[in-house]
Amino acid sequence: MTEAAIQLKDVSLTLGEGASSVNVLKSVSLDVAAGETTGIVGPSGSGKSTLLMVLAGLERVDAGEVRIAGEVLNGKSEDQIAAFRGRNVGIVFQSFHLIPNMTALENVAVPLELAGAADPFGVAARELAAVGLADRVTHYPGELSGGEQQRVAIARALAPSPRILICDEPTGNLDQATGKQVADLLFAKAAERAMTLVLVTHDPSLAARCSRQVAMRSGRIEIDAAPAKIVA
Amino acid sequence: MAIRFSLREMRGGLSGFLIFLACIALGVAAIGGVNSVARSISDGVATQGQTLLGGDIRFQLNQREANQAERAFLDGLGTVSESSGMRSMARLPDGSDQALVEAKAVDDAYPLYGALQTEPPLARDALLGEVSGVFGAAAPDLLFERLHLKLGDSLKLGNATFELRARLVGEPDAVSDGFGFAPRLLISRKGLEASGLVQPGSLVENAYKVRLPGNASEADIETVRRQAAERFPEAGWSIRNRTNAAPALSSNIERFSQFLTLVGLTALVVGGVGVANAVRAYLDGKRAVIATFKSLGASGGFVFFVYLVQILMISGLGILAGLLLGAAMPFAASAALQSVIPVPAEGGFYPGSLALAALFGLMVTLVFALLPLGRARDVPATALFREMGFESRGLPRLPYVVIALAIAVALATLAIFMANDRRIAAIFVGATIFSFLVLRIVSALVQFIARKSPRVRSTALRLAVGNIHRPGALTPSVVLSLGLGLTLLVTLALIDGNLRRQIGGSLPERAPNFFFVDIQAADVDAFAALVGKEAPSGTLTKVPMLRGRLMALNGVPVDKVKVPPEAAWVLRGDRGVTYAPAKPENATLIEGSWWPADYRGEPLVSFSADEAKALGLKLDDTVTVNVLGRNITARISSFRRVQWESMGINFVMVFSPNTFAGAPHSWLATLSDKSATVADDARLLNAVTRAYPTVTTVRVKDALDVVNQLVGQIGTAIRAAAGVALIASVLVLAGALAAGNRARVHDAVVLKTLGATRRTLIAAFSLEYMLIGLATAIFALFAGGIAAWFVVSNVMTLPWTFLPEVAIGTIVLSLVVTVGIGLVGTWRILGQKAAPVLRSL
Repeated sequence: MTEAAIQLKDVSLTLGEGASSVNVLKSVSLDVAAGETTGIVGPSGSGKSTLLMVLAGLERVDAGEVRIAGEVLNGKSEDQIAAFRGRNVGIVFQSFHLIPNMTALENVAVPLELAGAADPFGVAARELAAVGLADRVTHYPGELSGGEQQRVAIARALAPSPRILICDEPTGNLDQATGKQVADLLFAKAAERAMTLVLVTHDPSLAARCSRQVAMRSGRIEIDAAPAKIVA
Repeated sequence: MAIRFSLREMRGGLSGFLIFLACIALGVAAIGGVNSVARSISDGVATQGQTLLGGDIRFQLNQREANQAERAFLDGLGTVSESSGMRSMARLPDGSDQALVEAKAVDDAYPLYGALQTEPPLARDALLGEVSGVFGAAAPDLLFERLHLKLGDSLKLGNATFELRARLVGEPDAVSDGFGFAPRLLISRKGLEASGLVQPGSLVENAYKVRLPGNASEADIETVRRQAAERFPEAGWSIRNRTNAAPALSSNIERFSQFLTLVGLTALVVGGVGVANAVRAYLDGKRAVIATFKSLGASGGFVFFVYLVQILMISGLGILAGLLLGAAMPFAASAALQSVIPVPAEGGFYPGSLALAALFGLMVTLVFALLPLGRARDVPATALFREMGFESRGLPRLPYVVIALAIAVALATLAIFMANDRRIAAIFVGATIFSFLVLRIVSALVQFIARKSPRVRSTALRLAVGNIHRPGALTPSVVLSLGLGLTLLVTLALIDGNLRRQIGGSLPERAPNFFFVDIQAADVDAFAALVGKEAPSGTLTKVPMLRGRLMALNGVPVDKVKVPPEAAWVLRGDRGVTYAPAKPENATLIEGSWWPADYRGEPLVSFSADEAKALGLKLDDTVTVNVLGRNITARISSFRRVQWESMGINFVMVFSPNTFAGAPHSWLATLSDKSATVADDARLLNAVTRAYPTVTTVRVKDALDVVNQLVGQIGTAIRAAAGVALIASVLVLAGALAAGNRARVHDAVVLKTLGATRRTLIAAFSLEYMLIGLATAIFALFAGGIAAWFVVSNVMTLPWTFLPEVAIGTIVLSLVVTVGIGLVGTWRILGQKAAPVLRSL
């Protein structure tokens, strides 16, 4: 059996306090094998983004166990999780979240520098070349198109060679053609590096490209199956 | 790595930090500049000590010349120059006009150092020598103007005639010989002798300035001083050396610079509010970047350091700009101060003063930036996924709070430690902290009242009241920034106003019209008769007057006694002393009893109560005074309440008459005549000077004019200092309003789409600024009023009046500033087109 990259056991999470509190995740359990590609779908407010944050160690759970890349995150300090994330988890955001005052090269080098990697700029340059932006290294985010910005973001997420790549609506801010190019790139890179890919999306065609789909509703996993079953 | 990241982050420019930069630069420039200027003056005094003192060492004797033994001792030290100074009346030969002068009689050796400058330049003999019974003299322009004289004209001093042969341009040792109320008249010693002004008991100061042979070291000078004290313990001379040429000036400059440093520090602290606002606004904008860093594996501590480094670099720029300004100040001031201070203030570079200013700037930055930085550390990475309201208020983690508090305490300690008068500095620092806390409470109160106020019909007023209390309102920043500056301004304006009122209003009403000094004992009755005839409605009060120096308290030499600064003047230099058989009419005994009229026992003294308390004296303690070269020890038999501000005849010490039996002395008299006109005063002055040319007459109104002028100059400096604090306030206010305006664009646009007119919006914003400005002004009046009352009635012990013009001025200023600056920023908002803003929402 393949080793599990992600293991959630009975994970619950409530956000807010008192009358305004919401049970965002209700006893969610999920195992994702290494190298698997998983699409998380569901209506707004179903808890899919929160689930993604839990996977990235960005949100602490109230109950249950979170084991990512073999490490239990419960009980770790914020800084320990940050360091863990730097080594093991790459994140791609819907709004790219590039740092505006840094060039494309510097943006990609940031996680490598934070992790103390050798030759961060050499690696960053290679990653940018790998996403087809070798001629854009000195450009600032403001000088790049949306698709290019997202490709920089993907290069940044891939640069430290994480075992898990987490994407939040990676094509949500892009037009259809650019979105397809970015999705192609994501899936190609994940396959090339045997990475575990988890993405949240509202786009059925993107979800359909994953080997597995998880549909969420009201904080619970409603369906967990191969894409065909959900579409049906 | 944090530095590398900081540098990358700062590529966006410093646009949000201009106010931050200006606040820090202003405060640092004020502190660095003031201290550099003070140092340049002190250095001027130190490097030119010989010239300013007129010798390496200076011995001063009052009312008497050195006796043979003393003179022999002085002559044995090196070259001696002897000069005598006294106040007297110079009058026109026909007696038609007269003026008070500070006569200074010099010998041929004068000056030992530096050069006497006259116009035209004349040799000593040609300048001051005698030609057929007429002596030469030099005087500054002021005396020429006052008596409408020209070169070659004559005037009389005592019984001698002097010809004004030159204008006095520069007198090297003027500062150590005292520059007083009246213009100088430089004459020769022979001329003074011929004038007959020097009589037993006359108030004459004889200075012996000595040039020591070779290159005398400080140790040599100290040896001379010790020898003089040992060999002539009863001489009663005050000895000064070249390193301490102008002690009064030095201590005044030090005191004033310390006051200005505290004001500069207030400006810096007010600016600190601007720093906090700027840092918070900047980090608010960087929220997504911080969250991105964290999602990429950065720790909270790393985030903190990245932004701390940025803030420190920006603050470094501000400090550098401030230091450049501060370093330039001595050069600018040396020209400006030349006419005010008789010491050549040389421009110069003073690293110590500038380093202190930089340290203050750095500490203020840290105190105010650490809390927002600490909060930034806790920006969650989840902020990228979910739009949560960034909790930019509230306290960060404990270590950041503790460090910020520790630096604040260190800042306060440093401010107090660096001050000369630590008590005043501590009060100042305490008051600033207290004002901070109270202003916080005031802003909370204003918001509370706004929240609880009933709903009004006017849309504009409703919007304004809503803006005052809603989350993220401008109220706290505006109240805090403007409140501190305004409070300082009100305090200084009220102190200045009260001081002027005293000098210009109530003092002259209570003060006598004239002081008459050096009335010879034999002339007292005839003098009284003359004054009685010339001013029949006036009241003449006369007392015997000697000069004495306090040498010891309870047998302990005064230089070994630790005294609080407010009583130091009693021990400094000579004091007028008197004796009286019966208790003076204006004295109130508060402890002990007066001696019988025919008392013959041990010398007794009645001491001024407040000064005795400050010096720690009790009944039956002894004081030793040196009068005319004799040490006299007297026992304190009573304490009197003395009203110094009445400007009548007041003495710290009144002795029993037997104390000075046989000592030659003159009399001091005052004339009070409330009904006298200016013409009456002029007539009396002329009559007295004609009949008694050796009596020195001081018209109180003239003296007060001089004081008034001096207070005016100090007032200008104080207002300039307060202005610096107010500029800092306005900068911070502008910054806070600008930051608020960004949020306001959204509101204005939404309101416009909902049908609000420009007029409604302007009215709403104006009302909001007015209400906040008014609340701040009321607080400033209250707090500034209490502070000024404390200073005027407790520190200066003067009657206190609240001045309505200051109140009105403060309110108007506050409203103009808040509404003015507020509307300038708002104008841009009103012109904002709705569509682009709505699209980006």
